[in-house]
Amino acid sequence: MPWIIKYRPKHVDEVVNQDKAKQALLEWLKSWDQGAPGKKSVLLHGPPGCGKTSLVEAVARTLGYELFEMNASDSRRKEDIERLAKVASQTSGLRARRKVILLDEVDGLDPRADLGGVEAILEVIRNTRNPIVMTANNPYREHLKPLRDVSEVIAMDRLRETDVVTVLKRICQAEKLQCDQEALKEIAKRSEGDLRSAINDLEAAAAFDGRVTLETVKAISTYRNRVYAPWEALRKIFSSKYVFQAREAITSTDLTPDEMKTWINEHIPSWYDNPEEAWRAYEALSRADQYFGRIVKTQNWDLLSYALDMMGPGVAFARKTYKGKFVAFKMPERIKLLAETRKSREYREALAEHLAKRLLTSKAAIKSDVIPYLRIIFTSNPKYAAGIAKAYGLTEELVTWLAGPRAKEVLSYFKKPARKSKST
Amino acid sequence: MSELLWAEKYRPKSLDEVINQKEIVERLRKFVSEKNVPHMLFAGPPGTGKTTVAHALAHDLYGENYRQYMLELNASDERKIEVIRTKVKEFARSKIAGEVPFKIVLLDEADNMTADAQQALRRLMELYSANTRFILTANYPSKIIEPIQSRCAVFRFTALKKEDVVSRLNYICENEKVKCHVKALETIYDVSEGDMRRAINILQAAAAVGEVTEETVFKVVGLAHPKEVREMLQLALSGSFVEARKKLRDLMIAYGLSGLDIVKQIHREIFSTEIKLPEELKVMIADYIGEIQFRLVEGADDEIQLNAFLARLALVGRKIKV
Repeated sequence: MPWIIKYRPKHVDEVVNQDKAKQALLEWLKSWDQGAPGKKSVLLHGPPGCGKTSLVEAVARTLGYELFEMNASDSRRKEDIERLAKVASQTSGLRARRKVILLDEVDGLDPRADLGGVEAILEVIRNTRNPIVMTANNPYREHLKPLRDVSEVIAMDRLRETDVVTVLKRICQAEKLQCDQEALKEIAKRSEGDLRSAINDLEAAAAFDGRVTLETVKAISTYRNRVYAPWEALRKIFSSKYVFQAREAITSTDLTPDEMKTWINEHIPSWYDNPEEAWRAYEALSRADQYFGRIVKTQNWDLLSYALDMMGPGVAFARKTYKGKFVAFKMPERIKLLAETRKSREYREALAEHLAKRLLTSKAAIKSDVIPYLRIIFTSNPKYAAGIAKAYGLTEELVTWLAGPRAKEVLSYFKKPARKSKST
Repeated sequence: MSELLWAEKYRPKSLDEVINQKEIVERLRKFVSEKNVPHMLFAGPPGTGKTTVAHALAHDLYGENYRQYMLELNASDERKIEVIRTKVKEFARSKIAGEVPFKIVLLDEADNMTADAQQALRRLMELYSANTRFILTANYPSKIIEPIQSRCAVFRFTALKKEDVVSRLNYICENEKVKCHVKALETIYDVSEGDMRRAINILQAAAAVGEVTEETVFKVVGLAHPKEVREMLQLALSGSFVEARKKLRDLMIAYGLSGLDIVKQIHREIFSTEIKLPEELKVMIADYIGEIQFRLVEGADDEIQLNAFLARLALVGRKIKV
């Protein structure tokens, strides 16, 4: 049996250094004793190998839950979804054990290929009678937003080197292996907090000749290409000492370059409080952004390399002096606002299109010369505004958009007269 | 009660109702009576009646249902010459039923077309000249290529005179039973720079707010350009970059403004008296905002580019305060 399975924690106490996540998950599961809580699912996220699945398994076992486990990317198959929905809807009878459902790797859902996958899972969450835990490396992919919104979001940290060493030592004892402290440290260092890869490396090193020395470790294990969470990548970029580090960090996440751009855009001011550094960083990002614009226009993907140079190293070396510090990089506000901005722009476009025909002018002229005055009418004279809305057959959505804070008043006039004319 | 926008309601339907541009109207009337129209180019500043006159001409030629004999295209909305070509081709193909032996293609804002597109347009004009006539409008006739100008009868529309605009506005006020002060109407003329459409829009908005006084006019004009732009600039200049960025996002959401819209307003604001800046700095900022506009046109991202701009303002703002 591979060691990563053999040495999975059996009890929560064996899970190393995830106290906050442990606590949160335990409390949430226990709250099910009083019936389904407000949020019927948890989205547990953290870097690869930090022990997400292990934690869920250990917690389930500790609390005496039966675990129903499924890989989220299977959920696109109809029969799997049906099976999942069935399990989720079962009540735990008197005799049956209580269940917890684990949907592993929801970020593995491909927004294009698994169209509807997220929707299907949402539906299951809505109807579930049993707790559902989802795991993800990166919960901030845009298509996961609906899942984020309905779930309790719990974060797990990347493990520290010492945590990894602790676990490795435990395994060495259980296997009665002679392990050099230096060797374990080296494995832990190379694992960069990924316990799974560390245990795999230990097993490989042990298979060599029954003992684990620094030499064997150096001989077998190689650095892996890691995937970092966006905030980890940002930290790496902003605090990189060399160009190559910043450059590597840019592509070390599973975000697209465009999404990465959004993260950097959000956090330049979080990192740089000196206005000059902030401006230099923005100027670098802006250069990167221009390269992206040209790539889209010309389809010349050779330019991508320069875009990445400006995005990573360009932003990193906007600093004038090097300062190590800690900044909490939150989810970009803009990702949340994007949909709203798009909607607003669509309304404006639709209105311009609609009015251009009546007023015999271009959409551009409607946008600059008509809509601003319409807004004034709609926000200062609801009754009159309703009259205009009627004359031009505006939809309620457009009226609401134009009237903003006074939408209710305009709409009430907008709907009224039909009734009035009947009564008189 | 349904209310029309006055810009539509008070638009002259027939050439007889057009009060300005007397010589032009005179010549066009002649075309109507002869039922013969050349290709024409109407050139002049915005809001001087180019499009209105084109419609009035078509109305007089074909009668109430003139719009079925006229293809209306707007070059700033339909930049692709292929689109224009396809539409013209289809339109020209169908037969004419009435007594006028041609149909009209009205191409508004033709000066927004690239020189290449205009070359293609020239060929279109030749190809379909047997049964179509083109009327082009342009703010800047110099941006229309020579071969097209030479194929067209060119009519130059002049900016409207103050008394004409004021008397028209006054007429609308009386008709709508709205209280208007003459001083207010003069102010409307001043702020609308002779653009009749804008003048009427301002009047209607002011009337919706209350009595049309100088004060309401200024209020309306101020409101039409979101004050958030100015606030955003002031925040950035005082060094509050994050706050300024928040305002930028508000503008993009609440008003649905695009990056280009905002860039243009910034340009206007920079030179206004409301923003206190050393003169040479205004020039520098204007240059930088021009650069931002260029980047946006090249396909860059609205927010990132404007953030770079705001970050720069935050930097220079700090320097001038010392």
